[in-house]
Amino acid sequence: MLNCPMHMDQWHSHLLGERVDQSSLVIQGNRACALGALDAGVRFFAGYPISPSSEIMEAMADRLPAAGGVFIQMEDEIASICACIGAALTGELAMTATSGPGFSLMQEALGYAIMVETPLLIVNVMRVGPSTGRPTAPSQGDVMQARWGTHGDHPAIVLAASNVADMYRLTMAAVRFAQRFRTPVILLADQLVGQMRESFSPELIGRYRLTSGDFDFTPGYIHPDLAREVHRPHVLGSGSHPHVTGLFHDDTGFPTNDPEKSDSFLRELYNKVAHHRNELCLYDVKNEGKGRVCIVAYGSCARTARAAWKLADQEGLPVEVLHLYTLFPLPVEIIQQVARRVEFMLIPELNLGQYAHEVRKMAEQWTTVIGMGKIDGTLFTPREILDRIAELIGKYESV
Amino acid sequence: MPLDIEQYLHTERLPHMWCAGCGIGIVTGAFLRAMVDLGLKREETVVVGGVGCSSRAAGYVDVGTMHTIHGRALAFATGIKMARPEFTVIVLTGDGDGAAIGGNHLIHACRRNIDLTCILFNNQVYGMTGGQVSPMTGWGDLATTAPYGQVETPFDLCRLAEAAGATFVARGTAANIRPVEEYIKQGIQHPGFAFIEAVVPCPMEYGKRNAPGGVLAMLDDEKARSISKAEAARLTPEELEDKIVTGVLHHKVGRPEFQRSYASIVARAQAEAAEQAETLQSESGGAVS
Repeated sequence: MLNCPMHMDQWHSHLLGERVDQSSLVIQGNRACALGALDAGVRFFAGYPISPSSEIMEAMADRLPAAGGVFIQMEDEIASICACIGAALTGELAMTATSGPGFSLMQEALGYAIMVETPLLIVNVMRVGPSTGRPTAPSQGDVMQARWGTHGDHPAIVLAASNVADMYRLTMAAVRFAQRFRTPVILLADQLVGQMRESFSPELIGRYRLTSGDFDFTPGYIHPDLAREVHRPHVLGSGSHPHVTGLFHDDTGFPTNDPEKSDSFLRELYNKVAHHRNELCLYDVKNEGKGRVCIVAYGSCARTARAAWKLADQEGLPVEVLHLYTLFPLPVEIIQQVARRVEFMLIPELNLGQYAHEVRKMAEQWTTVIGMGKIDGTLFTPREILDRIAELIGKYESV
Repeated sequence: MPLDIEQYLHTERLPHMWCAGCGIGIVTGAFLRAMVDLGLKREETVVVGGVGCSSRAAGYVDVGTMHTIHGRALAFATGIKMARPEFTVIVLTGDGDGAAIGGNHLIHACRRNIDLTCILFNNQVYGMTGGQVSPMTGWGDLATTAPYGQVETPFDLCRLAEAAGATFVARGTAANIRPVEEYIKQGIQHPGFAFIEAVVPCPMEYGKRNAPGGVLAMLDDEKARSISKAEAARLTPEELEDKIVTGVLHHKVGRPEFQRSYASIVARAQAEAAEQAETLQSESGGAVS
């Protein structure tokens, strides 16, 4: 691999966005994702064109050669993720980006990456509907696919971006998580977040702290809690010559049919994520402890939720917002903590209640969980959410 | 005294999982001898298999090895080669893995002319799953999913690879293994995409349903049907139908190889970036933040 001849970050940000002053950029969400990936050290991208994610790929095609990295447009999304896994197994930081149909094609190889414990970033800029759907309209319809799309029991780390700054910082977080846990991380965005333009400051990104409080965006960050190491990394080359297989395998890397070894292998795979939930669950609470209703939101709906909260504040409605950046592993602790203190949890989603169902399982013994779904390719308005809140509180009071 | 090939063999993993009479081991042996002759460095050699009987050969080779998912070995190998151009990357695949589910990756790897060596073990059947028809099963042959006989025509994989852009194409048989060893050696040394088709007998899943049946008869049959490229040129298409054309069938120099072409892009982009950086630096008086 060729070395980067200079501090490329300056020139990447200069070329991918439009500088408004010394520290701020106006930049498209998809390009901010590419910038975050480059700043996080991603040096391998293989992908296949698909709306509304292609700008990530185009930005990588433009910037990776100068950074001494590899960019390839493959023949399909299956080949794209496989090439990424191949590169990642040599120790390279690799990523791909796609949308629903491409994400569906990647599922088998995604399971392989989990099984052989390969760090990898997969960005899914969601479009609405099954099949081809509407490629240029936003949705959150792939949430459960991100969790359970590949076959068999498996761990999953899924993050959701709600704005351009998220596209940068959550890309970086996803890369760190992937490296640390040696597993693929899925970053969900949607057409709105991916293709909108917003200002943000990559230089000041360290200030964006999330409430979980223990994640640092500085390069080389390693979480102090290294209680459980993941399996021996497979790195092709660099002195070792391991065998890598998607079959159940033991510590030697070779296949095993031993039931006991199979069980402990899969449980360890699962638990390496489950046991680090607190580190992985990134979220933000607004108006903490002051609401009778909590809007639980992620992705572009979190933007609407925040706007609704501000309106609610003006109108004297007691509302708090739980903005989730990590969807999986499930943020059980914070959901249950909030559930214990509010009367309603309202979950606006651009799907038919995929995540509301998860929240209901965690919270319904303490609170009433209400889903709000939209699948027409448009967004909620803050007023729609607020009206629903007023209705819920009104209904409660009339009882 | 240990055999030379044992340095590249996980002897502790033997006996292998192939059936008695299977031809995959014969070609794997040729591959191992080619590795010995070339003195490949174990740390810088990666062997990638897909899924199927032949892909399992990767698991017996003591270099960096991958047993991947069905049909995608070439895509994984492409990623490895691009990330580590100094590595020798060899793909072991079968006719189901490489010509059916992985057919698209095969033609695109050929088109890119990426410096990989692909050895396709053609046993004309899906052996591991129990004898289903493959894209290389002959017209009229029987298989569990062609109980009335196959009515699709197989590929000529070597012509396919050549047309798609592979720059080294050869075919041999398990019945005459020495030349195959030679093709593999030449293929690995060839600076571009090398495609080697090795016709191997599967007496268990193919031979038990189709003439000539047993492994020795199958090997004899392979030998009898093998002809050289020069001999093939003198035959009519009808006469060629059941022949196995062997030898180095295509060898082209000068077609750009993908990894090297990409490296020149990197060099150009880095030079341009350095220039841009200088301009930006001078425009902003050296105060770019």
